[in-house]
Amino acid sequence: MTQSRREFLKRTAALSAAAYVGVSLPFDEKGLVYAASETVWHRGSCRLCGVGCRVELGVKNGTPVALRGVPESRTNFGYVCMKGMHFWKVMNHADRLTTPLYRASKKDKFKPISWDEALDIAADKFATAVKEHGNDSVAYYGSGQALTEETYFFQKMFRGGLQTNNVEGNPRLCMASAVGGYLTSFGADEPIGGYADIEKADCIFIIGSNMAEAHPVVFRRVMRRKLDNPDVTVINADPRISLTSRIADIHLQFHPGTDLALLNAMAHVIVKEKLYDEAFLKDYVVVKKDKAVSIDFAEYEQFLEKYTPEYAAKIMGGKVTPDQIREVARRFATSKGTLSFWTMGLNQRKQGVWANNLVHNLHILTGQLLKEGADSLSLTGQPNACGGVREGGGLCHILPGHRLVAKEKLRNQVEEAWGIPKGRIPPKPGYHTMAMFTAVNEKKIKAMWVHCTSPVQSLPNCNLYNEGMAKDDCFMVCTDIFPTLTTELAANLILPTAFHFEKTGVYGCTERRSQITRKAIDPPKGAKPEVWIIREWGRKLAEKLNDPVIAQCIKPFEGLEEGYELPKAIWDEYSQKLTKGRDNDLRGASYEVLEQMYDGVQWPAPTEAFALTGGTVKKFVRGMDPMADSHGKDDKPYQFYGPAHPDQKLWLWQRPQADPEEIPDAEYPFYLSTGRIIDHWHTMSMTGRVKELLRANPYSYIEVNPADAKRMGIKPGDMVEITSRRGTNIMPAKVYEGPIEGMVFAYWHDQHPDRMINKVTKDAYDPGSKEPEFKICACRIKRVSGPKALKPYIV
Amino acid sequence: MKKLFGFNLLLAVFFLSWVCAGAGDSRSVGVSATSAHPEITEQEKLLPCFECHKEATPEIYNEWFDSLHGIGMVKCYQCHGTYENMKIEPEASDCMVCHVDQIKKCPQDKKCWSCHTAHTFKRNAK
Repeated sequence: MTQSRREFLKRTAALSAAAYVGVSLPFDEKGLVYAASETVWHRGSCRLCGVGCRVELGVKNGTPVALRGVPESRTNFGYVCMKGMHFWKVMNHADRLTTPLYRASKKDKFKPISWDEALDIAADKFATAVKEHGNDSVAYYGSGQALTEETYFFQKMFRGGLQTNNVEGNPRLCMASAVGGYLTSFGADEPIGGYADIEKADCIFIIGSNMAEAHPVVFRRVMRRKLDNPDVTVINADPRISLTSRIADIHLQFHPGTDLALLNAMAHVIVKEKLYDEAFLKDYVVVKKDKAVSIDFAEYEQFLEKYTPEYAAKIMGGKVTPDQIREVARRFATSKGTLSFWTMGLNQRKQGVWANNLVHNLHILTGQLLKEGADSLSLTGQPNACGGVREGGGLCHILPGHRLVAKEKLRNQVEEAWGIPKGRIPPKPGYHTMAMFTAVNEKKIKAMWVHCTSPVQSLPNCNLYNEGMAKDDCFMVCTDIFPTLTTELAANLILPTAFHFEKTGVYGCTERRSQITRKAIDPPKGAKPEVWIIREWGRKLAEKLNDPVIAQCIKPFEGLEEGYELPKAIWDEYSQKLTKGRDNDLRGASYEVLEQMYDGVQWPAPTEAFALTGGTVKKFVRGMDPMADSHGKDDKPYQFYGPAHPDQKLWLWQRPQADPEEIPDAEYPFYLSTGRIIDHWHTMSMTGRVKELLRANPYSYIEVNPADAKRMGIKPGDMVEITSRRGTNIMPAKVYEGPIEGMVFAYWHDQHPDRMINKVTKDAYDPGSKEPEFKICACRIKRVSGPKALKPYIV
Repeated sequence: MKKLFGFNLLLAVFFLSWVCAGAGDSRSVGVSATSAHPEITEQEKLLPCFECHKEATPEIYNEWFDSLHGIGMVKCYQCHGTYENMKIEPEASDCMVCHVDQIKKCPQDKKCWSCHTAHTFKRNAK
């Protein structure tokens, strides 16, 4: 019996009221997931975002039945978010891939084949490509969700085995500008402090981040800090009012891409009103106009002269007043501790590195660094973008241990650790992500391995790159647990893998914290851990290329059981040999130590004894960071020993306001920005398969400011066409006082061809970090019809 | 307050009468949680709970929205499930996902919401 909406509402009201007055309604207990007495709890990390929440998976009779937070963990104190609560439900999903699938041509249907056949084909295709087209005709494209052991082993095989630096990963799409910012401002990648600063901060500056949805458990700590201490100032700077703004004392809303002017104007106020820390600047800072050109402070002051609050407020679109900018700058500079957070709003920009530098500038100017409650903290998007990819050598220009490919001495260190001939690793960095997929389009890449990510959906301007991926010129292997748009369009060979808690390995989260997840259950029959896949593929590759060096790359791992012993051996090689003496020294973070810790270890942690204390809470501070003592150049309390600044100083940068690549014009009069939503993760291949999460947000919508909606005749739920110079989407409108007037916003998780927003986004990228400008492009919108019934779409 | 209580009681009585009238499929132990929810179409199942409850139970929606769970984005489905596994009254195990420590410390013979009012999550004043 279906009833009218009115009847439904009446009955719902009755039900809710019954519960409200304490009437316990009888219900079926079959749906309960909790059975404490028989359930065994296995500690590990959450599979999803970069916060690094520690969780326990409840397993009963070999089946996952529940999940809970770990109260002792210093990342999440037991709390988990909506995605984290439910991600384990994908483990037994009927769509899990459990047998290798192969098709010779991408036009054919997949056929199941044996693992032996699959690995033979994979080895043959990569060997043939190398023999016929050279080493740089093959590529690896990985993920910030892969375990460190996986990323490290893959890049070892490609660099040491196949002699190419075509090693990339999706962190290029989210964190590369943060890396560039940290290296150029502080001389070392990754934050100085961590989440522990939240509970000490008196001013929290959130810019370009909707952390309430993208990093909810860190946001919970910020919320708690604010609610418990109303005097704490929370400032939210963003073109879109979001759920994060709910706890803000001040919200600065501006046109996308004008925040460089805001940050320079804040510096202007700080300098004009002499709110900077003169002693800190004198002891630790040089001012840079260019990497090779230092300038004096007076010249920097001169540069800031034009960035008056009035000038910035005008550029920003007029919703922010000059006095608000002054107020924000003063609070930032004078609080006992100021903590900044940002994510993709700054990183996914053509000026991403500059935007990062300008936030760091404010901390450097005011000395709001290195002390309790003060830090310049980039939130990481993925659970192992920092640990696996940034530290483990997962990008085309870096080797494990924050080593640059281009430096011969550093390449030789890696070659020596691997026991392979000097000169084996090529000196030239490989293709960065956008160049790599351009090379696919140009038929230069003949064999590609895509691991745990779906570039068909996640690349900006994806229509352009999907053309190349869909062709048979590039043989593609995909390792994944579910079908994705990439397996469907672009793969020739799909290898089914073990999921989180079905294998062992380490994730390194936002705050330099490495945490282990041990295997708790077997993967579905037929799925295999990636480290096993790489080893077996490597052995066949060595045979086909008749190359003993490839065999040498897998030799230390031969014969080891894949659930624990194999990843442990890989972690030991990486941590003991390749982080030794590096700024991410993880020698103390052995599996034995990590398994003892509720919440892992923050590097640097050169010894097990130190790692067992939890590691380094604040980098560069004598007495807190053992490397500040061992690598210090003088007796000052702070020692900036990072690899990128030979002068061991912090660099204050002169960076001007600069426009995004595309700004609205008469033809495309709106800004389009994209982002995440709390209920879904990336391309929805996991969260789209959890009913609770799917229903909470079954399809994307376009957020339209009410003033724009009125002008365009758009009502809530109307179907709206969004068109850029690259592609078109059609999705329902959400009329909402969120985006600033003249801007629309969509989340990027939806797989449906009509609502896949990366058809519309732009693929311009930062010249330094090579990170694309997902956050800003120009579009036009048009109402095409009233509301339509839509269905969720998951391949 | 008294008035509100009276109103809710009236609604509860109305609800119980509705259950007794057969809406609950006449199981001897009462209705399943799923069948207790008014029937909705497949399309309606794709609406977030609050889309209807904003109208159906605005006071509960507002309490939740302004609560720590509302600010922290702990949505309806964490405690009450989705349509097929809907529970009108959650289990302590649902709270335990985040509140393991607190549950260990609290009286074991009481339900969480007997002290922490449902939807506002404030501790009762008594």
